Amino acid sequence: MIKVSHLSKRIGDVQALNDLSFVAKNGQITGLLGPNGAGKTTCLRTIFGLLKPDTGKAEIEGIDVAIDPIGAKQQLGLFPDPFGLYERLTPREYIRYFAELSGLSSKDAKEATSQVIAKLRLEDISDRRCKGFSQGQRMKTALAQAIVHRPSNIILDEPTRGLDVMSTRLLRDILIDLKNQGHCVLFSSHVMQEVAALCDQVIVMAQGRVVAIGSPSELCIQTGKDSLEEAFIQLIGTDEGIAA
Amino acid sequence: MNKIIAMVRKELIDAARDKRSVMAGLYYAIGTPLIMCGLFMVLIGQLTSPDDLKITITNPDNAPDLVRFLSNKGITQGNIKAANVKDSTAKASTENGADTQDLKAIEMIISTDYAAQMNQGKGAEITIVADNSDEKLQNSIRRLERQLQAYSTEMGSLRLIARGIDPRVMQPLKVNIHDQATTDSKGGMILGIAIFTMIYSVFISGMNLAIDTSAGERERNSLALLLSHPLTTRQLVLSKIIAVSLFALLGLVLILLVSKIAYTFVPWQELGFSVNITSEFMALMLVVGIPVALMAACLQLFVSFMAKSFKEAQSYLTIVLFVPLALSMAASYNIAPDMLQWLPVSGQQQALMDFIKGKDLPMLQLLVSTLSTLAIAVLLAFGMERSLKSERVIFGL
Repeated sequence: MIKVSHLSKRIGDVQALNDLSFVAKNGQITGLLGPNGAGKTTCLRTIFGLLKPDTGKAEIEGIDVAIDPIGAKQQLGLFPDPFGLYERLTPREYIRYFAELSGLSSKDAKEATSQVIAKLRLEDISDRRCKGFSQGQRMKTALAQAIVHRPSNIILDEPTRGLDVMSTRLLRDILIDLKNQGHCVLFSSHVMQEVAALCDQVIVMAQGRVVAIGSPSELCIQTGKDSLEEAFIQLIGTDEGIAA
Repeated sequence: MNKIIAMVRKELIDAARDKRSVMAGLYYAIGTPLIMCGLFMVLIGQLTSPDDLKITITNPDNAPDLVRFLSNKGITQGNIKAANVKDSTAKASTENGADTQDLKAIEMIISTDYAAQMNQGKGAEITIVADNSDEKLQNSIRRLERQLQAYSTEMGSLRLIARGIDPRVMQPLKVNIHDQATTDSKGGMILGIAIFTMIYSVFISGMNLAIDTSAGERERNSLALLLSHPLTTRQLVLSKIIAVSLFALLGLVLILLVSKIAYTFVPWQELGFSVNITSEFMALMLVVGIPVALMAACLQLFVSFMAKSFKEAQSYLTIVLFVPLALSMAASYNIAPDMLQWLPVSGQQQALMDFIKGKDLPMLQLLVSTLSTLAIAVLLAFGMERSLKSERVIFGL
């Protein structure tokens, strides 16, 4: 479970986060939906303790990230954007490296790596160096890195960006799989179909603030629109109206 | 601890596969001793004159005794014309090639009244014609002058004895010189340069890895991912320092091995001393090199983390690396030697030079400079640990 309460963060002249609060529950896929520059990545980075909020706090399984960053991060897996692959390592080495950094012993890390490679069907590329990988292959490697240590919470930053249909489907299947195993999945996106198809809960963000929270259908009902996209526009537009 | 091992292992695998990092270390470690050897060989060739000094002697027949004396001392007639006159034509023609090749542009003219003057116990005239501004000739000119002086003294003594006077009357001063220079200490200067290249290898070998693992890591967006994992910035900083230091020490080991082999090909004996990279020296160099490598790693990582990009880090480091270069160079050329004994890099350099000269190790100076080296390393490491908690550094803002 990831809980964010009253987060505020100013970066330069921009109020990136503005009293942001939400909860992402275990066994659910939570989508962080917002236009470019809404503060999605800033919010995720704050959850990881990479950015210090001016006010408010982020908790993972009840552990305050600011107080016990190591303990909190132990419960997290991150699928970053951009991926941050090491081009000179093979996926097997790369995944195992991060498994060990997440606290697995050398032996466990090796085992977990083999399992996740099998799970994501990475065998054909697992011992080739990452240099020259396609976007889909990169995505799979990064995803394997995020879930290799079986964290209870998985955070994905714009996971479907630049992926083809096959890769997107694979990603979707894995996220649903994780959800069914009781993991808490939180991802940011600005792609409506994806959010509509996957999410149990959608958090609509704009200008560092939560505009609306609910399941896709709830959001549609709330705004009186047929599709999530229409609802989204309505929500953002309303927000801009208020801000003006 | 496991995490640090995992990180160091990954850094080393990553670095070993990075051609740029490996090449930077290898080129320097292998190339420098070879270049130094070449330089030393040229240097030695210039310093030592050939055994036989061949000059042009005009009118040798006027002073056969002097010519014999000089030829005993290795100064011989190289004049073909004169040789023709004196010796058989056949001999001259066989020596022709060698004579013209080694012939120095020095002409010694024996005056026509030499024999007469000598017989009368007067000053017989010898004229040396040579270009004194030619540095290559100066050694030969000095040598000729010395021998002529010796001959002159000998003649003078004989004349005094013939007149019943003890020649020692003419030598009111009796100067004894005890040359304390051991053969090894003469090579100290040359070794100073050699040691400098070895110490500097620590800075060069790890440099590319240091940039790659800090500024490069951020440029590839993996730094934020790394810091998102449950590890402390201290673990991160330590593992990077260890990896870079190991790489730097690898460069040092390599340059020591190459030097040990390469320096045996330099004809040191012509200088009257030998330069030996002994196993003891190699061991001492390695031990002394460890703190220097740590400091080099900390310095390079610190600067590269401060830089926004790989290129920026490279240009900063080139400037920063001038400081140890200057310290080390100053130590080998003995500029302001007193203060430098206590400073990092130059202190170690001087201690190593003393060791190779066969003197006692200046333990106190070595200790102080080693401790100050380590202190700088620790300070830089703390600085890095602090800076990696800052958002500005992590995201290169």
